[in-house]
Parts: sequence; C-alpha cells; structure tokens
Amino acid sequence: MDPLVVENLNTLLEQDMGVSEKIKEQVKELDKKVRIIVGILGKIHSTPSNSMPELLTSVEPVLFSCRDNASAIAGVIPPDQFWRWKDMWSNSMRTVVFAAALIEYLRKGSLLSLPRAAETFGIQEEWKDRFLLPVEDYLHGLIAMVNELSRYAVNAVTLGNFEEPMRISTFVKDIFSGFTMLNLKNDLLRRRFDSLKYDLKKIEEVVYDVSLRKLLPLKPLE
Amino acid sequence: MPSAAILQVFEHFREDIDDANDRRERLIKASRDVTNISKKAIFLLHRLILEDSGDERALALRAASEGRAKLAESHAIFALMRPELVGDRFWRHHRQVSPGLQEYIEALSFAHYLEQGTLISYAQVQAALSDADGPFFTLPVADYLLGLSDLTGELMRFAISNLGRRSGRTKANEVCAFVRNCKADFELFTPHVRDLCKKQHVTASSLEKIEAAAYTVVVRGSEYDLAPEALDDIVSKASARFSDHDSHQDHVVYNDV
Repeated sequence: MDPLVVENLNTLLEQDMGVSEKIKEQVKELDKKVRIIVGILGKIHSTPSNSMPELLTSVEPVLFSCRDNASAIAGVIPPDQFWRWKDMWSNSMRTVVFAAALIEYLRKGSLLSLPRAAETFGIQEEWKDRFLLPVEDYLHGLIAMVNELSRYAVNAVTLGNFEEPMRISTFVKDIFSGFTMLNLKNDLLRRRFDSLKYDLKKIEEVVYDVSLRKLLPLKPLE
Repeated sequence: MPSAAILQVFEHFREDIDDANDRRERLIKASRDVTNISKKAIFLLHRLILEDSGDERALALRAASEGRAKLAESHAIFALMRPELVGDRFWRHHRQVSPGLQEYIEALSFAHYLEQGTLISYAQVQAALSDADGPFFTLPVADYLLGLSDLTGELMRFAISNLGRRSGRTKANEVCAFVRNCKADFELFTPHVRDLCKKQHVTASSLEKIEAAAYTVVVRGSEYDLAPEALDDIVSKASARFSDHDSHQDHVVYNDV
C-alpha cells in the first residue's frame, strides 16, 4: 500500500477511535451514577411505606443527571451511527430504565412508558439517529424491575405491608401478558423473559400466604 | 395503567420487534447469497488463471473480467439491500451484512490483483459497490481491510498451484513479496480493527507456505546450472509426452483393467 493510502485509512480509523474513547469516558461517569442509584434503591426493601417518597426523591437528582452523559454521548456520535456504538452503554441504559420504572411503580403503581423512560435521559427527537432508547433496552429494564418487585413483595410483608404483594401481582401479571405478545428472537431478552415465570411464582406464593392467613385488610382492593 | 393499555403498548413493541427481526432475516439471507456468489467467483478465478495459454497477460485479463462478471450477479442483491440499510439501519444490521460484504471484497480484490498486480483501493471497492443510483451503502473501512486480509489466503493458493506451470516460479516470488507487504501494511491497522489480528495470523501462515514453496524452488533449481526458462522447457517437454494424447491415457486405463 502506498504510504499516503495507509495514512488516509489510519486517519479514518483514528476518528472512530476518538469517538469510542469519548463514549467510554461518558459511560464510566454514567456507570458511577448507576451504582449510586442502584445502591439507594436497594434500600426500598427495608423502607416502610411512609418514608418511601423521601427515599425515592433522594434518587432523583442522580437519576436526572444521567441526562448530561446522554447528551454528551449524543454529541459525539456521528449521524446514523447509533447502532454502531450502542453496545457500549446499553447495560447502563437498561439499569437506568430499571430504576426509573421502579420509582414510577413505587410512586404511582403504574408502568413507566417508553417515551417517559426516554425522558429520563432527556432524549430529544433530533437525536434519533444518534441516541435513542431502543425497545429491547426498555424491555430489559422492565424485566429487571419485575425481578426486583418479586423480592420487594416478600420484604414488604416483612415490614407489615400486606397489600403490596396484591398490587405487585396484578401489575406484574399485566407486564407478563404484555411480554407474551412479543415474538422474541432467541437472545438474552428472550431468556430473561423466560425467567420471569419464577418471579411470578414467587409473588403468587406470597399472595397465597397472605390471603390464607387473612392478613389482608377487610376492604378488598379495587 | 389498566391492562388493556399495557397490551396496546406491547402490540406496538411487537410490530417494532417483528419489523427489525424480519429485516434481519432478509439481510442474513442476502448476505449468504452474496457470499455464495463471491465464493463461486473466487473458484472461477482460480480455475481460469490456471488454464493453458501462451499469453499470461491475456489469460489474467480474461480471468479478471469473467470473475468480475460473476461477481456482478451480486449487485442485484446489494441493490435490494439498499433500502433495508438506509440511515441508521446500516449499523443496526451491520453484523448481518458484514460476512457477505467481506467475501465480496475478497473476490473483487483477487480479480483486481490478477489484472493489475496491486491492492484494490478503498475508493475502487466503494465504486464497485455502487450502481447508477450511487453507492449501495457506505463501505466501512474495517470491512474493506478484513476483506483484503482474506485475499492473502487466495494468493497463497494461487502461488502454490502456479508452481507447476511455466513461469510459475517467478509468479510465486512476486506473490510472496506482495503478501509480505500486505502483512506489514495490515499490521498498522490491527489496533483499530477488531478481528484483524486473528486474520493476520492466517496471513502469516499463508505467507509461510508461499515462502516454503519459493525456497524449495530455489534449492531444487540450484542443482542444475541452467536458466529458469531452460528448466521450464525441460519440465514442460517431459510432461507434455504424458498429457498430450488422450488416447494414450485411455490405453493405460484399459491396460489396468
């Protein structure tokens, strides 16, 4: 190869290296935040319902600061190259979705929609070829949330909250039936979905225990 | 959120996932078809270049042009892939497209080498991967290099099967020098291109095979104090006695029975 040709190719490859290094920096920052968020949310299992809002509010500043990293990443991705680089941060992204969805459930008992999850990252319409929240990553986040809720069902009972498992059961069943509508290919998402049934079973057992022992308040849940 | 709403949301997801999976399957199939055509083109090149001919140059040109014509069959497939790969879809499905693309580049660079004795440039590959409407997609530098890296294996086969022919020995030395340069050039890119390192090992072993062959030629040739052309003459005259007459061959087979 002509030395000039080698140099040209190397310049092109080094540009890619530059992009990759800038992303790495951001992902490192993002991961630090993710660990803080997960750490705080770990406390839900020992937090009584009346101090829950306070705990959840304390996560928010860190959660929303993930936007800074998202916008920095969006800034370095060349047009149309989202999918080329997304593997670098998809794990962190899934955990942030998990956290946001868990908070939403604990606050309002409802499912965080994909567009709202994308808002957590401050994702903007004009980024759509450079930074977006893919359906798969959103779904990974939801599965992680279900995993967590099955633990929470158990621990809520320990804290004397006997209604929580009932709510979780209904909520998780809805999500599960949503997942059954999807034609998943044989990948990690599919395997994680397959494992959801164990979470469902665990929650059902809690519901069973609580109901049989008449631990529920008399007024039935709507 | 009531159940019906959740189901509706997931229905959207299903459409989205199905759409991507279907496209993925179509691209895998297209990529396999391109691989298939490219492999055939490579075999064709190997076959044609070993044909008996007085004029080596004319033979190389004809092989390259027929190889290119075979490869051009894949252009219809690439044209069909184009709309599936617009915008951000190219990188979304890059892993599905890459194998066929690299095989295509291997075949194309082989034809190019036979014709011009040089490494095909990035721009030339991109130009081949285009039609009247422009490029089918932007060629990633990594795929270009990985495709070229596979070329060295074909050149090894070419050099070694050429040894038994007139002027095959000089050819083998030419190819040897060329592959050695390729290996040195590619080494510079290994930190930037995933998988190139693995392919460099393959290149190294191909190079060794060519070197071993070139060595044998020199050692054996040195036993006779003759010019290489004179050696060629002796060998080809001797072998011509056995291959000229089909009837003679039949006779031998007949006797064996």
